Amino acid sequence: MTTALDRDAQRVLPDPARWSRHDAAVYDLRRRRDSAAADVPDWEALRSRAAAAKAHVLDHLEELLLLFEERATAAGAVVHWASDAAALRRCVTGILRECDARRVVKSKSMLTEECGLNPHLAACGIDVVDTDLGERIVQLGGEAPSHLIVPAIHRTRQEIGELFHRELGSPAGEVDPERLARHARRDLRARFLMADAAVTGVNFAVAQTGTLALVTNEGNADLGIALAPLHIACLGIEKLLARMEDLPVFLRLLARSATGQPISAYTSLINGPRPGGSLHVVLVDNGRSGLLADARHRRALACIRCGACLNTCPVYRRAGGHAYGPPLPGPIGAVLAPAQRPGAAGRELPLASSLCGSCSAVCPVGIDLHDQLLAWRRERPAAGAREAAGMRLAAAVLARPGAFRIAGRLARRLWPLLAARWPGNPASPWLRGRELPSHPGASFAERYARERRGRR
Amino acid sequence: MTPSDDRARILEALRRAAPAAGHRAHPGTHPIPSLQGGWSAFSTRLASVGGCAHGPHPRAGLAAEITALARHRSARGRIVADRGAGELLGDGAWEELAADAAPHACRDVAVAIVRGEVGVAENAAVAVLSRSAAERALPFLCEHLILLLDEERVVPDLHSAFAELPPSALASSPCIWISGPSKTADIEQTLVYGAHGPLSCDVVCITNGR
Repeated sequence: MTTALDRDAQRVLPDPARWSRHDAAVYDLRRRRDSAAADVPDWEALRSRAAAAKAHVLDHLEELLLLFEERATAAGAVVHWASDAAALRRCVTGILRECDARRVVKSKSMLTEECGLNPHLAACGIDVVDTDLGERIVQLGGEAPSHLIVPAIHRTRQEIGELFHRELGSPAGEVDPERLARHARRDLRARFLMADAAVTGVNFAVAQTGTLALVTNEGNADLGIALAPLHIACLGIEKLLARMEDLPVFLRLLARSATGQPISAYTSLINGPRPGGSLHVVLVDNGRSGLLADARHRRALACIRCGACLNTCPVYRRAGGHAYGPPLPGPIGAVLAPAQRPGAAGRELPLASSLCGSCSAVCPVGIDLHDQLLAWRRERPAAGAREAAGMRLAAAVLARPGAFRIAGRLARRLWPLLAARWPGNPASPWLRGRELPSHPGASFAERYARERRGRR
Repeated sequence: MTPSDDRARILEALRRAAPAAGHRAHPGTHPIPSLQGGWSAFSTRLASVGGCAHGPHPRAGLAAEITALARHRSARGRIVADRGAGELLGDGAWEELAADAAPHACRDVAVAIVRGEVGVAENAAVAVLSRSAAERALPFLCEHLILLLDEERVVPDLHSAFAELPPSALASSPCIWISGPSKTADIEQTLVYGAHGPLSCDVVCITNGR
């Protein structure tokens, strides 16, 4: 069976230079995470505290959302509810139209990405500009982000230089990251100053106080919120925290897990609109309540989108984020996909894992990612007839020592035939990207028997 | 479907998703870790996040120190102090923001001087409370940021820092934690300061009168 993941990964695999660069860049983030975590004496206690705080939130979500709604409203926010992606798109468009807002600056939000907000706004004639540098790069390139934290990690400076030359008028041949970043800064600063509205995601929301917490390194979310008279914050319902004292626990984990920084450059706690402005908060479900009802998989809702599981994943590092398809890449993307993407496409992703468990080992909120992947595999509907027959045959052979010995002898006999037919064999995606190794000519049992005879 | 239908639908779905038994309790307060505190730990950390530590300076002569630092960052540019910094420093090379100024009034600020509430040694973050729309924009629109921090307000860890802030600070005005200058590594993981906000971040430590 050829999966979507397999198809997309094929686009990356033929270019070894690209994937080894990607692999190194991503693993560097993993190393930074390791040294940052080692720097914190109470790291493991923090992880279990965070996991417990999230478990509490997920068990009391209805009550905490109502509390959040009450407190945020008291602080001057207008709270909206959106049960799915279409409802979020309708809601945001409605608010923007009501305020006659035509120029929108956006800061990074995986939720709006998940809900397809940008293309919808563009279709409604609203000018929407992503302001995170990495998001801006993929927006100008007409691509999706390939990493949760570093959206353009798959692009080289040469490609970005060409893109900026074409789209922003930077000098031809400019490849210096600092000068390219300055160019984007000038272009975006003008847009910040003219913006009618800022659309942001939310990293954490505190029910107790109705507070939104936004985290960036660039300061782009703050520039948008501080300048535009209208702020629309899109908040996945699982992002809630119960108390303000929970926030430092998560903030200490988030940046260290993501990039190895002790904290991101800017962490903004927002209660209500800025003076003279208005704040709308849209609470989005889009499949989250369904996942919450699934006892086996609800823990995945604890995710804080740090990207640590991507950076350590041998599959993600080689295949790249685009291989996973929208909305989320990496192990967490594969765990959430069956719930987020109904149909076969979402069910395939959990197959693309080595189940090495590295993702679970680094997850700051203790999600049992590899166990979840395995559980999704078990829940996968019966595979095609050919695969099922193959598995039955394998089970029959592997369960009988005699049949196993005969099958082994047969396979060694047929080896040259297999080797000749191997390259580019369309029979199975298992064959692509793998080479048929040479075999030692005899099974272990045969060699063992021979050695013993020789010694006697 | 009307918006209120969405609310009812989500709440109903959550009610159905609630666990049959055993709602897990809140884990309570995280025990304060024993981390190194104080200005010297803060300074080291600040350097690692791209900021620059100065001091500690006594209050006497502080205005002259700040003027020199601001002019080092920008020889002729506009210098603006927020209300907290203005009250601390008195008159000087800086202008103060009018309480009703628009945020866009900060668009050509070269150096902003902003009063920090609390500093955190483990991550070099300084909490800043803004009292007006212009103060909210000031630390982000300026080219260079100078934060003023009292030495006795440096705490070891983020939990203590949250506890140190008055509850009103966390519930009303926006509270911004700033750790070093604005930065990005979105182009081939090369660290660039000044992605959108300030290109530099100085933190000046002030000793209490001695």
